[in-house]
Amino acid sequence: MRMKPAAPFTQVLSLSAALALSGVTTPAGAADTIAGQPDISGVWAHAFPRPGQPADPRLDTGPLPSPPLKPAYMAEWTALRAKQKAADERGEPTAGLEARCLPDGMPSLMFAIYPLEVLQTPGRVTIIEEAFSQTRRVYLDEPQGKVGDVEPGYYGHSVGHWDGDALVVDTLGLKESVPGYRDIPHSDEEHIIERIRLIDPDILEDQMTVEDPKVLERPWSFRFVYRRMKGYHMLEYVCENNREYTDQNGGTHLQLGSH
Amino acid sequence: MGRLGAVLAAATVGLLAPAAPALAHHSFAMYDNDHQIKLVGTVTRFQWTNPHVYIELENNDTSAKVARWTIECANPGILDRVGWKFNMIKPGDKLTVIVAPLRTGEPGALLKQVTLPDGRVFGNGAPAGKALIQ
Repeated sequence: MRMKPAAPFTQVLSLSAALALSGVTTPAGAADTIAGQPDISGVWAHAFPRPGQPADPRLDTGPLPSPPLKPAYMAEWTALRAKQKAADERGEPTAGLEARCLPDGMPSLMFAIYPLEVLQTPGRVTIIEEAFSQTRRVYLDEPQGKVGDVEPGYYGHSVGHWDGDALVVDTLGLKESVPGYRDIPHSDEEHIIERIRLIDPDILEDQMTVEDPKVLERPWSFRFVYRRMKGYHMLEYVCENNREYTDQNGGTHLQLGSH
Repeated sequence: MGRLGAVLAAATVGLLAPAAPALAHHSFAMYDNDHQIKLVGTVTRFQWTNPHVYIELENNDTSAKVARWTIECANPGILDRVGWKFNMIKPGDKLTVIVAPLRTGEPGALLKQVTLPDGRVFGNGAPAGKALIQ
């Protein structure tokens, strides 16, 4: 098992101090320093149940609450799920993002199917998901854009501020073509608010609320919980060898080796 | 919402099982998990890549219908975290594998378990599921 002394917080403070002493200034702003902020940095893993171990109630997120989709969108989602199930039963599953070597984007990446690394630097929280080496940047104490005026992307534009022990993150600008969490429909007006905080020195929680006036009847909240992975070195992930191809019906097949 | 919509909506709530991550891998549906088979073969190619690691295996049973198999494994991250190393399998290695073959009947399969030349046994990570035969 790889072990490495984990001291990201103090090392970053030293860097800031060194930069200040050398006359190099970090970008100006109220959140120039991370002194006094809770330390949520480190590597975090989705808290899957561990067989043979007593369940920790703090890690129990319960079943995902059903999304309050407007009727037309609920019908669309239900039909999609039925189509996927039928395709699975035929042994020709519909191609997911991975079969196109595309990352899952926000909010799905926060499920942390592979480890999630949180970095704290002055004015910024950066979150890296090992799957597809996805990076999202949260700009502390900066204003959010207006709905419809934020360039759409896989991760959106995220701003944040500390509210006591919780990092509150506000994200706008998620491309409609990027599937929502669990393929739940979303529009370009999707607006995600997260409250990210430690509930234990080694347990991190992301309380997520999705608003989408076009698609949802009301805000939809759910929670992700992570366990700290001490000493873990994040791996790179370059999607270079996708051998699952899709046919004209969208079914997935394996490209066999040629000898 | 119409009555049908309400019924469908109720039916979908049960699909949101907490233990089924969205990315797990609905491409696993390509494979016949209920009819796993054991193969003994020689590695002709080993690709330690994302999104999947692949073993190309030449069947040591020369009377078998299928001479060569493409075996899909999890990604390097999952395998690394269950003890694999990037260089623990090489062309020329004789392996015993338990796999779930493609439902189409083509010579491809999902790895369930591998036994290395030195006798060590490895799984293919939790999402791929366990070997049901030995």
